[in-house]
Amino acid sequence: MIASKRIGDGTFRVGVGLQKAWGLHMATAFFFGEAGAGLYFVSQFFDFVLGMVVGLALVLFGKAGGHVLHLGQPLRGWRALAKVRTSWVSRGLAAILVFVVAGSLHVADAMTGMLPAFVSQLVAAAALVSCFVIMVYQGFAMSHSSAIALWSGGQMPIASLTYALLNGVLLTLVLGFGEPFLAEQPETVRLLQVFAVALMLYGLVTVLSLLHGARHASEAGRESVMLLLRGGFARWFVPLVIGLGLVVSALMMLAAPPAFSWMLAIAGLELTGYYAFRVLVFKAGGYDPALSYAYRFRH
Amino acid sequence: MATWGMVFDLRRCIGCNACAVACKQENSLPDGVFFTKTLSEEVGEFPDVTRTYVPTICNHCEDAPCERVCPTGATYTRADGIVMVDREKCIGCGTCIVACPYDQRTRLEPEMLDEGLFGGGRLTPFEEQGIGRFTVGTVVKCTFCHERVDAGLQPACVSTCPTEARIFGDLDDPTSRPRRLIQERRGRQPLAEKNTNPRVFYID
Repeated sequence: MIASKRIGDGTFRVGVGLQKAWGLHMATAFFFGEAGAGLYFVSQFFDFVLGMVVGLALVLFGKAGGHVLHLGQPLRGWRALAKVRTSWVSRGLAAILVFVVAGSLHVADAMTGMLPAFVSQLVAAAALVSCFVIMVYQGFAMSHSSAIALWSGGQMPIASLTYALLNGVLLTLVLGFGEPFLAEQPETVRLLQVFAVALMLYGLVTVLSLLHGARHASEAGRESVMLLLRGGFARWFVPLVIGLGLVVSALMMLAAPPAFSWMLAIAGLELTGYYAFRVLVFKAGGYDPALSYAYRFRH
Repeated sequence: MATWGMVFDLRRCIGCNACAVACKQENSLPDGVFFTKTLSEEVGEFPDVTRTYVPTICNHCEDAPCERVCPTGATYTRADGIVMVDREKCIGCGTCIVACPYDQRTRLEPEMLDEGLFGGGRLTPFEEQGIGRFTVGTVVKCTFCHERVDAGLQPACVSTCPTEARIFGDLDDPTSRPRRLIQERRGRQPLAEKNTNPRVFYID
């Protein structure tokens, strides 16, 4: 045995310790970031102004609000732009700033047509690219941390992108219900429904791959997966993230009639599962015993 | 220019925690903050049981992940290899904390500084002289007692260790004690598989 199975409990013992630096505020920021950016991303393809506005608001107030609540020195937050070359947090902040400016301009342009054609296309492209960065950078920021086996796998950015797209599709189906681009084109609704089911299945495989990779990565990864699947967090992770968030919502989407109440229910279930995913993956992140290596060479 | 590093002799450490006390005193650390910890572990089964002690500290890694992920540049490495945090630049995002494989960083929460060691918000004169070194919401960590090192002294934990289980010196100097110990007794880096190249080694 490399180290004791004891989870860090405040005593200074060799064992796996859980991270506590990133908690509910960060999980909330990540949630709103991927929900808002996903919604904007899908909405821009349909020129769906309400979706773009709500997406921008979720990023601007939800994501930024969560980060401000989390920061120890929020008034210095602008300094986080300093290391774009090496830090995903810096890259993310830069993307948020570009997204808010370009996204707002694009929405204004979509409503009034105030920009010349070339500038309009440029702004739309900038908004879309920065939005895409927001959809994935959180995963990269987590997987950049080799310290925590549950986060450091390459599946984390893919999970971010998958959840962001899924959130975007479902929120578009809810907010756009009855809007001309959906009401007058039932095949678009059907296409988005199929896309949502595909993303749910892909998300399920991604989450399971993430757990599988962490399980075989290290002592801490094994401990984290045990916590999520059999330990203290299992009563939340399995039914909410896997069950309601991905499996049940996929089955409901397959059987769903074109009714607002169904779309709302499915989006509610999926977003609940996604929020639980964000919170629980933060809570279950564990550090390997610092001296596992030293212990090994001693015996 | 020296490259400072430390060696922990696991045969010598007796788990007295004098290092932790000296560190807290030298750095005026608030309640709940430790720059060095001595972990313990029971090994074996009755009646053949022993307790082992594992001192830990910031490893001042050559390829420090905390420095790489810091979005503000608050974490930086001095020319002599000591990894520092500029509290004027730190925004308290905690990215460095989750990036450090050794869990050696702490964010200063308001209650750590407000409550005082004896609670109730009353600070002792010792705490009052030390509190100015800290900024709420920023991240702190071991600095190898850089002021002492700059003055030609050893870090407080090294000076205090009664068994000389901590050996500090220039890793670039082939004749320095830590360098010789690493070579002669096959010094190992903690969690070497993380590719951080720590400047702290363990020998047994």
